[in-house]
Amino acid sequence: MTENQVVDLLAVFSDLAPAADAVEQLRAMGVHDDCMNVISGIPVTEAMLGRPRQWTNVPRIALGGALLGMGAGIFLAYISPFLYPYPIQVSTQSFVPGPPTVVVIFELTMLGMLLSTFLGVFLDSLFPNYRPMKYVPEISDGKIAIFVECPHVEEKKITDVLKKLGAESVKPAEAQHL
Amino acid sequence: MSDNKHHAEQSHEEHLREKHLMLDPLPRGQMNEMVMDAMTAPPTWKWWLVFGFLAFVVVYFLFYKWGVLIAKGQGEAGVMRPDYWGIFLVNTVFWIGISHAGTFISAILRVFKAEFRRPFTRAAELMTTFGLVQAGFSIFMHMGRVWIFYWLMPYPNQRMLWPNLHSPLTWDLLAITTYLLSSTMYLFLPLIPDVAMARDRSTGWRKNLYKVLALGFRGTEGEWTHLRNAMNIFAFAIIPVMFSVHTIVSWDFAAATRPGWSSTIFGPYFIVGALHSGMGAAVVVLAVIRGTMKHMDYFVRGEHFDAIGKLMLIISMAWAYFFFNDYMVQWYGGDKWTQQLLHFHEAGPLGWMWFAMLFTNIVLPWAILWNPKWRSNPWLVGFVGIAINVGMWFERYIIIPISVTINRMPFTWRMYTPGIEVPMGIGTVAFFILLYMAASKLIPLIPVWEVQEGQMAHELKKFGRETVVSVSELE
Repeated sequence: MTENQVVDLLAVFSDLAPAADAVEQLRAMGVHDDCMNVISGIPVTEAMLGRPRQWTNVPRIALGGALLGMGAGIFLAYISPFLYPYPIQVSTQSFVPGPPTVVVIFELTMLGMLLSTFLGVFLDSLFPNYRPMKYVPEISDGKIAIFVECPHVEEKKITDVLKKLGAESVKPAEAQHL
Repeated sequence: MSDNKHHAEQSHEEHLREKHLMLDPLPRGQMNEMVMDAMTAPPTWKWWLVFGFLAFVVVYFLFYKWGVLIAKGQGEAGVMRPDYWGIFLVNTVFWIGISHAGTFISAILRVFKAEFRRPFTRAAELMTTFGLVQAGFSIFMHMGRVWIFYWLMPYPNQRMLWPNLHSPLTWDLLAITTYLLSSTMYLFLPLIPDVAMARDRSTGWRKNLYKVLALGFRGTEGEWTHLRNAMNIFAFAIIPVMFSVHTIVSWDFAAATRPGWSSTIFGPYFIVGALHSGMGAAVVVLAVIRGTMKHMDYFVRGEHFDAIGKLMLIISMAWAYFFFNDYMVQWYGGDKWTQQLLHFHEAGPLGWMWFAMLFTNIVLPWAILWNPKWRSNPWLVGFVGIAINVGMWFERYIIIPISVTINRMPFTWRMYTPGIEVPMGIGTVAFFILLYMAASKLIPLIPVWEVQEGQMAHELKKFGRETVVSVSELE
């Protein structure tokens, strides 16, 4: 193994506080935030761990879906009646009345927004993903794990620091089928 | 003296921990084991007996009878002039009402951060999805020629049919489809971390099933962030959808100028009625889960029945208010046919149903749910829940077939006598329970990660001499 080669370490903590301390210490040792990732069995916020805010596209995708849904609603309610070869005019009723179109547009806007929110989670999280991935099943038992990418020469130093800060185990991370 | 005081404080703390799930944490691994054990424990012979019986009822009463209805036509049902709308539509409204509890418990309580919701959001969300399946079946039964249901879809076609988007029935299609899809997605999103937990603890076919359903979830910061954002959007957005669904169902009636139906208050009246029956059904489900599944007495406690019991009491009062408001205005209006109809409700051959509705929806809940001790008893609150559902089914029966009996053409008046609708309706009830039984063996009914998150946020804190429950806001 050469000096420049990068290794992936996996440190498992039983509690939140030592994990947050470890993140802080790693950063002090020069490990960039992009070279760390935390996995947990409950949604631990970035602020609790002192990590940078995670970017998510879900709200934007939801907004896009809402606009698409609204467009579909407007098409159905306002445009589609004119596409019929023999438009049906019922007595003196307006051909495209206002209130019913509100109902159609509302339902399709909400459907568009919720469908795209759901798909947004899939797109942002790269779901479904059945390839081998770095993981430890203890996470779902409430443990918190930190993945650290570091140069091979730093491995021992980082392992010692993490153990000193309360890591239950520190080992090279290996991809496995979940 | 000081020792006595110390003991009293300790026993107060112990009492609080016993009472509140959020103050009685167990290691996450142990909670996982309990949920997995409840799900994977081999079913007993009693379970199989009930499952087999329900499966028979579903096959014979729901599907075979439906086949008979399709083969022989709607004449098998009791619908005839003037009662074209019978039990199929009563059941449609009833099941859509049941489905409202899931969203109410899960979304509204999530938005308002009501902590007691945590252990039973999933059980309630399942009610929404399974209830809507029965509602869909019921409306298709009513449709008759169910094999051409796609004619309802708004798309240009060679038959030159263009569904009338001005009709409340088309709005129904859009609203129920939106609600079914969104509530199913809302059920699935918070299920992903629990399915991942089950994947990590399973072997064989279960492992493969959970592996597929978990989608490769690991619990990374990004995955939680996307999930949390999506669940917040769902919680806020699904509430107006829920309101729209039952309002639109009410417009199926209120948009017609029939005696008893033409009412501007039907929208909120139907929504409150839906919540009334939905909460009643939710409490029955919880009592059954607690009483029949392993370890569930740890997760579902008296405090949860107490909290839902309070909600049921408030909703019962709101329902009474809307009922009286609707009744008062119609009675005061003095329209000849409406007067006839109101008299028919109370003194007609099915007047007993009208009084039973008032008893089970108002008198019984008020008589029992005011008492905190009674309200914390799972079986007693479950009994009230069943009674409310019977009462709410009566209410829909009174609004639909009984009310269409009296119209402005007395020569058409005729009492509705149901036929094949009765066994088919029983079939939908059996199918609902059957789906629940199957789900209890296939997916974790308790959202363990949500429970653990709640337990992390709760603690006992001393204010002066008093020990009180304190909650931190983690998000």
